[in-house]
Amino acid sequence: MILVVDGLNRHQFRDVLDDMFRLRARVFGGRLGWDVKIENGREIDEFDHLDPAYVIGLDDGGNVVAAVRALQTTGSHMLADVFSAIMDGQAPIRSATLWESTRFCVDTNRLTRSKGKNSVSYATCELMIGSLEYARSAGISDIITVIDPVMDRVLKRSNCAPYDYVGRTVPMGKVSALAALLDCTEERISAVREFAGIHGDVFIAKQTALELLNSKISTKHLPANQDRKPITDLERYFLEQLNASNTDSERQDVFRLVTALATGFSAERKTALLRNPRAFVHEA
Amino acid sequence: MEIVDLSTLPDEDAQYDEFLKQVCEKYEMDHAAYAGINPAAGSIHGHVTYSDEWKVHYQEHGLHLIDPTLHRAQRSIAPVDWSRLERGKDFQRVFSDAHDFGIPDQGVTIPVRGPYGDIGLLSATRNCSPEEWKKLIGNVITDLQSLAVHIHDNVMSSDTVSRMLYQPSLSNRELEILQWSAAGKSQQDIGDILSISHRTVEVHLRSARRKLNALTTPQAVGRAIGIGLIYPG
Repeated sequence: MILVVDGLNRHQFRDVLDDMFRLRARVFGGRLGWDVKIENGREIDEFDHLDPAYVIGLDDGGNVVAAVRALQTTGSHMLADVFSAIMDGQAPIRSATLWESTRFCVDTNRLTRSKGKNSVSYATCELMIGSLEYARSAGISDIITVIDPVMDRVLKRSNCAPYDYVGRTVPMGKVSALAALLDCTEERISAVREFAGIHGDVFIAKQTALELLNSKISTKHLPANQDRKPITDLERYFLEQLNASNTDSERQDVFRLVTALATGFSAERKTALLRNPRAFVHEA
Repeated sequence: MEIVDLSTLPDEDAQYDEFLKQVCEKYEMDHAAYAGINPAAGSIHGHVTYSDEWKVHYQEHGLHLIDPTLHRAQRSIAPVDWSRLERGKDFQRVFSDAHDFGIPDQGVTIPVRGPYGDIGLLSATRNCSPEEWKKLIGNVITDLQSLAVHIHDNVMSSDTVSRMLYQPSLSNRELEILQWSAAGKSQQDIGDILSISHRTVEVHLRSARRKLNALTTPQAVGRAIGIGLIYPG
C-alpha cells in the first residue's frame, strides 16, 4: 500500500517518516556506501527540510518497506545543488511539469526474494506505480530520477525502462549514480502494473493508514510485563541487546537467544517478549 | 494551443490581472488568484480576479495572515485541492467569510518553488458539482502547472535585483536543441539528428522555454537569439 506524506500531513505520520529515515540509513549509508550524513541511525539531508513529498510503501503491518522522495525542479533539488557532477557542469533541467525523484529504496531485510506480496519485486513495482500515479495526478509529465545501476536494471526488468539518460554516470560510494528520465504516461503505468500483476488502487486512504498505524502502536505498548514482577537481570540483558540491535538479523539473533535461555519465563511472558519487545522496553 | 502569455499583455500590474482573467476564461474557472513571496527583494505580490469588496474585506480582516490556501498549500509539491486542507479554525474563518462574498470552498492551489527560496501560489476556484470539478482539474492541471510557474517567474523577475539573479542558465544540450529549432527542425528531426528520443528533446525544450520565460518554442528561440545565446537560423 502506498502512502504519500508531505508538508501537509507529516505531523500525522512522524513514525512512518522515522522508519523511512532508518531504512535510508541502512540502504544509502550501509549497502550503497554513499557519502550521506547519518545521525542516530537516520539518514536525513537538507532536502528533507524543504517539505518534499515522500511516496512510501507500507506492508500489511504498517511497516515501511519502500520509499522515494520527490521535489520540484523549479526550485532547490539534488541535481541542481549536490549531484551537479552528474550534470557534468551543465545547468540542470528546470520545468514546471518535471519532478525529481531521489532516495528510491526498498527494505531487502524485511522483504523476500520470492514473488508475491512481500517480495522486493512487488514492493518496488508498487512504489513505481504509486510515484508515477501521484506525479501524473499532479499534472507532472516526466520524472528525472537519480539512481544506481542496480536500480536501473530493476527498472528495465520491471517494464519501466527509462526512455533516456541525462548527463553522465559518476562514481558514488560502492556503486555509481546516474540520472534517468521516466514519462508519467498511462502506458508506462499499465506496463508496470501488468508486469507485477497489480491491478487495484495502490494508495491507502489517510484514515485507513492512521488506523493501521494506531493499531501498530497499541500492540507496541501492550502491557507486556503482565505478571508485574520486577524485570529480571536476564530480561534486562535482552532488552539492552534489543535496544542495541540495528538490523533485523541482529534482532532475530536476540529473539533466538530469548527462546534458548528464557526457560524460567511463563509461556505468556515469553510470547509477549518475543512479539513486542518494545513494550518491555517501554516499561523498563 | 491558444496561449495565455504575459508578454503579450499591457504593462505591469494590469497585465497580471488580465492574465488571471484569461486563465479563468480558458480553463472555465470562476476566479483565479496569485500570491508570490520574494525573499530576495523582501516583497509580497498579490493579484486576484475577486471583487473589490472581497479584496478590501480580506485585507481589512488580515485574512492573508491565516488563509490556509497560502500557508498550508505551500508545504506541498503537488497542487493542493482545497478538500485536502484541514477544516480548522482558520479555514472556517476564511471560507465562511468568502462564502458571504460568493466564493466557494471548492478550489485548487498550485504551489511553485523558485530557485531563491521564492514561493508562488496560483489558486483557481469554481462553483460546480464535485464530479464536474474533478473532471475539469484532471483535464487542465498540467496546463495550470505551467501557467503557475509562468506568472511566478514573471512576477519574480519584475524587480531589478531579481532580474539579475534570474539570468537564464541553459545547458549545452538545451542550446543545441534551440539552435536546431531556429534552423526550422521539428522535435522528431532533432531527436534523429542528436540520436536521442523525441521525448528527451521535448523535456529539454520545456526546460529551455521555462528558463527563458517563454511559453512557445518560437518565442524561446527569439529570446535566445536576442540575448546572444544562439545564432539566428
